[in-house]
Amino acid sequence: MRKKILFVVGGVVLFLLAPLVFGLSEIMMLNEIMIFALYAMSYNLLLGYGGLLSFGHSVFLGFGAYITGVLLVHYPEFPFLALILVSTFGTLIVGFTLGMFLLRQTGASFALLTMAIGGMFGTIALKWSDVTGGDDGICIFRPDINLYIFQIDTTSVTAFYYISVFLIGIATICCWYFTRTCMGQTVLLIRENETRMQFLGYNAAISRLILFTVAASFAGLAGSLYMLFIGTVAYDVISIPMSATALLITFIGGIGSFFGAWLGAAFYIYVQDLLSGITTRWPFFMGVIFILMVMFQREGLAGLLSRCIEGLRWLRGRRGRTKDESKQREGHLKVA
Amino acid sequence: MKTFILFFVHGITYSGLLFLIASGLTMVFSMMRIMNFAHASFYMLAAYISYSILLRTGQFWLCMLLSPIALFVIGSLVEKFLIRRVHSFGLVYDLLLTFGLGYALDEMVKWIWGTMPLHLNLVFATSSITVFDTTYPVYRLFILAVSILVIGMLVLILFKTNLGIIIRAAVDDNEMANALGINIPILFNGVFAFGAALAALAGVVAAPLFTVSTDLASLVLIDGFVVVILGGLGSLGGAVLASFIIGQLQSFGVLLMPQISMIFIYVLMAVVLVFKPSGLLGDRK
Repeated sequence: MRKKILFVVGGVVLFLLAPLVFGLSEIMMLNEIMIFALYAMSYNLLLGYGGLLSFGHSVFLGFGAYITGVLLVHYPEFPFLALILVSTFGTLIVGFTLGMFLLRQTGASFALLTMAIGGMFGTIALKWSDVTGGDDGICIFRPDINLYIFQIDTTSVTAFYYISVFLIGIATICCWYFTRTCMGQTVLLIRENETRMQFLGYNAAISRLILFTVAASFAGLAGSLYMLFIGTVAYDVISIPMSATALLITFIGGIGSFFGAWLGAAFYIYVQDLLSGITTRWPFFMGVIFILMVMFQREGLAGLLSRCIEGLRWLRGRRGRTKDESKQREGHLKVA
Repeated sequence: MKTFILFFVHGITYSGLLFLIASGLTMVFSMMRIMNFAHASFYMLAAYISYSILLRTGQFWLCMLLSPIALFVIGSLVEKFLIRRVHSFGLVYDLLLTFGLGYALDEMVKWIWGTMPLHLNLVFATSSITVFDTTYPVYRLFILAVSILVIGMLVLILFKTNLGIIIRAAVDDNEMANALGINIPILFNGVFAFGAALAALAGVVAAPLFTVSTDLASLVLIDGFVVVILGGLGSLGGAVLASFIIGQLQSFGVLLMPQISMIFIYVLMAVVLVFKPSGLLGDRK
């Protein structure tokens, strides 16, 4: 436990010190990694904890982004923090409403239904061009933070980076806390054995709905920050590829591993950047990496990391996990 | 009235195409519980292959023969070397695998054939027929004929042959069928490959109708999935009904309300699923 806290504090300090070491482009990349890590973390709540495979998670990213964008287009002086709060809670309401319909299904039907909902909202975003800007999307400028006591000029990359570190840090802590609460544990157990939990008197439907709503609101926050970071949003933010990005990052990091989303996002964004510098056909290599990981490394990078640590321990002669115990951990992920 | 009939026939031909795509998907799903995300990529790959064959030989019937065979082999290999190995780990990994495969295949196609849209020069695809002084492209009727032929063939195979009995038994309870001495792995392999071949056939007949381009897959993937879900996962009759409905909806949607025609199918699907979660003709939970 102490080691874990040390690890997290170390990570936070690294993120805080990064602007002193790196140039502007690296900071922008780190910022993107953080936003996608938050997006994937919210997705991991659904898939890793709830066992709900969704192909429409980008709906919530899109809602967060569009609420922020549309508000800024009409009220350019909208306060920065209020903007983020409104987007997050707006998406929370959307998530709750959609969840009531979507969660009537589970398993493959749920996956397909979410895909259809994603397609529906993507089409609406494309066609309702009076509000969303349609094909061209909307462009905004980041408003300044004005808290009367102090003001922050958010146009600078570093300033926005620190704001992101602060907000995403808080969101990560909330997310982590959620998984530790009784609620979070209940969802986990419902994934493992729904009949038994119902027999014990837990309401699976309501638990799933709460999980879905929480996941949606975090994705909305990620969307709002994404909008403010990039400064423009178009209809393709709500699309299957965007939803799949969440799945890919989550899987690469390790489904069900809380900090896996961070590993996955770092890997995904970095490798994408690296490959797109070398070849225009980078999605091919991403696809191949992905197939290989499904075949040989189903626990993702987090699983690989913990296996490496075990190996090191074993080398140092301490008692590692026995073979049976490691086998138990191997991914037999159940989908409700 | 003339416009009405014209759009009705238009819708039906599109339904035929949709059915060709959806039938493979729904068969693979009902047998193996796999949602094959690479299905649309198979379809696109076949369209490109048939473009190349047509360019070399100029014979369209050769495309219709060779592309499905090529995709049958590819599908069989994919099942044997990729899907079989992760199938026991559950639904999510199947989905992830076919998703990665689709990703890689889409890019491979861009690599081999380039990103420019390609046109198929087929005389037969541009000619038209006049019935009761209404001119209609022959090729669309040809698509309809092919899909009706495929429906007939599937019904014959499933309900009139020994193989059909085995397949239906495996759909019902594959463990029991396995215990009774039916070689389930080979059957699965065959069904998956046959699904890929059906997608290929759809790709070949669609190629002269649309331009062969790299977003061919994404255009049809959603519609195909919608048909499968709307009809009920694993229900062949449902796929026929749903592709008919979606085809008409697309056709008349474009005629009456072009702005929001694309939203119709999603709304319809959401409404059906809310009231009957198993789809129109699906009975399985």
